[in-house]
Amino acid sequence: MTATTTAADPAHAFAGYLECLAEADEQGAVAVARGLLEAGAPAERVLLDLVAPAQAEVGERWARNEWSVAQEHAATHISERVVAAVAAYADPRVTRGRIVMACMDGEWHALPARLVAEVLRLRGWQVVFLGASVPAAHLVSYLHRYDADAVALACALPMRLPHAHRMIEACRRSDVPVVVGGRGFGADGRWARVLGVAWAPDAPAAADLVADDRALRATPPARLDHLADDEYASLVKRRGELIDSALADLRERVPAVVDYTPAQLDSTVGDLGYIVDFLAAALYVDDGTLFAEFVEWLVEILVSRGVPAGAIGLTLDHYGQQLRDFPRAAGFLERGRAVVGGRVAATAGR
Amino acid sequence: MAPRAYRRRVGERRDDHTRHFRRSADVDEESGAQLVTAADVRGSDPGDGRISTPSADRARVWSADAPTTSALPPLAPDHDAPIVPDWSEVVEHFREGLIVCDADGVVRHVSPVAERLVPEVVSGEVLAAAGVAALDGDGRFEFTHHGRRLRLRPVALSHARRCWYVEDVTESVSRADALLAERARSLFLAVVGEKLGNPLHPDRAAAAVARLAVPTTADVAVLVLAPRSGRARWWRAVRAEDEVPAVDSGVLPAAALPSAIETGLAGTEPHALDWLVEQAAEAGWLPGLDVTGATARVVPLPGRDDPVGVLLVARRAGRWYDEADLDLVRAFAARAGAALTTAMLYRDQAEVADTLQASLVPVEPAPASGVQWGTAYRPAQAGLRIGGDFYGSHRLPDGGSVFFLGDVSGKGVEAAVFTGQLRQCLHALHRVETQPGRLLKLLNDALLETTQAHGQGRFATMVLGVARPHRDGGLTLTLAGGGHLPPLVLRASGEVEVVPLSGMLIGVVPDPRIGEATVHLAPDETCLLYSDGVTEARGGWRGDEQFGADRLLTAVTGCHRMPAPALAERVEQVTGDWLAHGDHDDIAVLALRATGAAGRASRHLHAVPGPTSAEPTRELPE
Repeated sequence: MTATTTAADPAHAFAGYLECLAEADEQGAVAVARGLLEAGAPAERVLLDLVAPAQAEVGERWARNEWSVAQEHAATHISERVVAAVAAYADPRVTRGRIVMACMDGEWHALPARLVAEVLRLRGWQVVFLGASVPAAHLVSYLHRYDADAVALACALPMRLPHAHRMIEACRRSDVPVVVGGRGFGADGRWARVLGVAWAPDAPAAADLVADDRALRATPPARLDHLADDEYASLVKRRGELIDSALADLRERVPAVVDYTPAQLDSTVGDLGYIVDFLAAALYVDDGTLFAEFVEWLVEILVSRGVPAGAIGLTLDHYGQQLRDFPRAAGFLERGRAVVGGRVAATAGR
Repeated sequence: MAPRAYRRRVGERRDDHTRHFRRSADVDEESGAQLVTAADVRGSDPGDGRISTPSADRARVWSADAPTTSALPPLAPDHDAPIVPDWSEVVEHFREGLIVCDADGVVRHVSPVAERLVPEVVSGEVLAAAGVAALDGDGRFEFTHHGRRLRLRPVALSHARRCWYVEDVTESVSRADALLAERARSLFLAVVGEKLGNPLHPDRAAAAVARLAVPTTADVAVLVLAPRSGRARWWRAVRAEDEVPAVDSGVLPAAALPSAIETGLAGTEPHALDWLVEQAAEAGWLPGLDVTGATARVVPLPGRDDPVGVLLVARRAGRWYDEADLDLVRAFAARAGAALTTAMLYRDQAEVADTLQASLVPVEPAPASGVQWGTAYRPAQAGLRIGGDFYGSHRLPDGGSVFFLGDVSGKGVEAAVFTGQLRQCLHALHRVETQPGRLLKLLNDALLETTQAHGQGRFATMVLGVARPHRDGGLTLTLAGGGHLPPLVLRASGEVEVVPLSGMLIGVVPDPRIGEATVHLAPDETCLLYSDGVTEARGGWRGDEQFGADRLLTAVTGCHRMPAPALAERVEQVTGDWLAHGDHDDIAVLALRATGAAGRASRHLHAVPGPTSAEPTRELPE
């Protein structure tokens, strides 16, 4: 006989919990989690089998344009409160060393990192969670002041990989081992390998890794020789100019753009910027799949918000012309263009 | 008189098969140089061929019945080139010695150099009889013989004969070794410099010093820091094959330190080395190291005044510390000492700075019934946790709260210190005056007095308000403005209002004009205060466009259902996204939300019972 009953099964509580998030009902959400804990569900399971999948669903709903950014924000906030409540309930004893956890500067999706932090805490680590968007200087001065057995860095978006690399190097210079996680390093951690840093696919793996000091230090060197072609640095330098010309190009070719409201214009400019940033990140780790995956995602987001996939194709074409002299970037744009083309064909066939 | 001795040996050796062809007149006795004349050459045997190297041409000459005296063609035709050396003679001046054996393995020729290097080899005898193992192989080989480093190069000749070239490479090998050792030392010190050159936490620095010392300078390295309050901390690294050395640490009472360590801590390298290994073993520092034959040294790590600690290095039997090794250990110790000193200095100063910063960081608003607070704070200097923006709240005896958000002139530490003074003032003043407008005027007078006294023109902009719970579950806000950006109100309908609140800067003129306004928040409505770091954030795709009030309005529109902390975070986030890593001013956000039924907002604090109350429900057996 096992102790797990329906009342203690996070999967059964999932629908009710999601309802609470949708209603921004903080007390209700906390009550669901508390009910599971009281029925005997381990705190780690509540975090990983209830809070984490619910948050993933929240992201999906935002991507499908079913939820507004405000709703997503409120839901995330409530999940944070639930995590705090679960942590307070479990109240684990500190038996091991100190881990400092931080999200990349500019990275606001703190909840996944927060979940990992709590799992580590449940396993006896003293975890200092520095929160979302931690400036590198702040992290480094923290390490100088308090030391740590390891730093755990979370990165949700691959476009921050160059920045993540600088942050990793900063921690290394403080002689503190680094473990990274998050979707930003690729589903299989392949971009962590390029940057030469230990990577954990999930919270339990991260817990195992930080307990193994030798594994943390025995990381292969970064494979970044391709940066010698200067494409990454030049692209970053030309970011503003590229967005400018892409916007002008869109105004010319898509008449509706001329009538955009300032807010619409801002978000268009934001998207044009994302394309450059993801392209730059793909150049940084020299992996065209990074850019192709991004284009796929962007098309899905924009199509669900009424932007035709073809408009993205126009911009990719434009960037491709501007970056004729950048063989790697041009190749990546070509692949991105193929993704859009596939999508347009699929829509037309329907 | 080496040349003469040399010549004599040559003569002796050659008497078995050829005549001595040099005339004494050909040797300049003063310089020792040998002059070869045409007559010599003409009268001489062109060579016996034993020194030739095999080649297609020569193979024919070496046919079975060919005379063994014509192996080599003359270097030049006899008749018109008077200076043609004899091959044997040429060969004798090679740096390489020559040993030639016939098909039966009998030594047929030993050049003088070979004779000197391998005296065991005697012409006319079987090579194997010489008993030099290295000559048995048929590949290139390097070996040590009579204290010299020799390099052998066997070459197969025609007719199954063999030739060995023997070179004395002792000097070049030792020079190469010395160069490699020197290069290894420089590389080691470069790595040390790189690793220890960054500011580190003192414990990190200590662990890094121990780890870096192994394996280059030691099999076991122990760093002992100078004792503090009677206790000495130590770090030890032990060599591990093919792996990063493991580092552990511990503490010893200062009285229990080995005497050699004490000598080192006093700043001198202990001279009596006999008992060093035993002392270290006794302290428990040399686990798994065979003490017999092991050697150890103790080197002080220079600090600012006294040594910051000492480094004990120990090696297994078989490798002594020579002078070069010790120089390296000392060079390493100098770098390690500097790194540790810097780390400790940095730590001490960071501790002071931290304590001071902690008093200047905005304090989270005090929980108040009917109010949910949300805050965000991002100082301009990322390394610093403080800046010129401030917010806070104090509870009033009547159940209300006084709250404020503002921005002082300037940035960085000085601005932060001023916000501290300002908050202290408010802390005191709110006890005597709770009407926002009058409170701001009191604050203005107090600031004016201090800034005049200090002769520095500091001023602030701020919004100050009092929130009181209303019968309907909402809040009544009485607001006073001192030249700050107008607050926003997020109505339950989704509408976003700008509260018309003006007023003059605080701390500039006596009796400034203070803007006043009253706002009613129904349950689930939110009032948002923010600093100009939000609206004046410069970013966008060109990096120089202001975020502006319109974008802020757009960003918070539709956020009326958000909890206050989520709203504050959202404002911080959209500002941060706009900046995209660019420089920015201090950013502060304070949101307060009417939570409806009094006390509901704080209920989550008690929503999760402690483990004890949950105990009865966890009774299911495994």
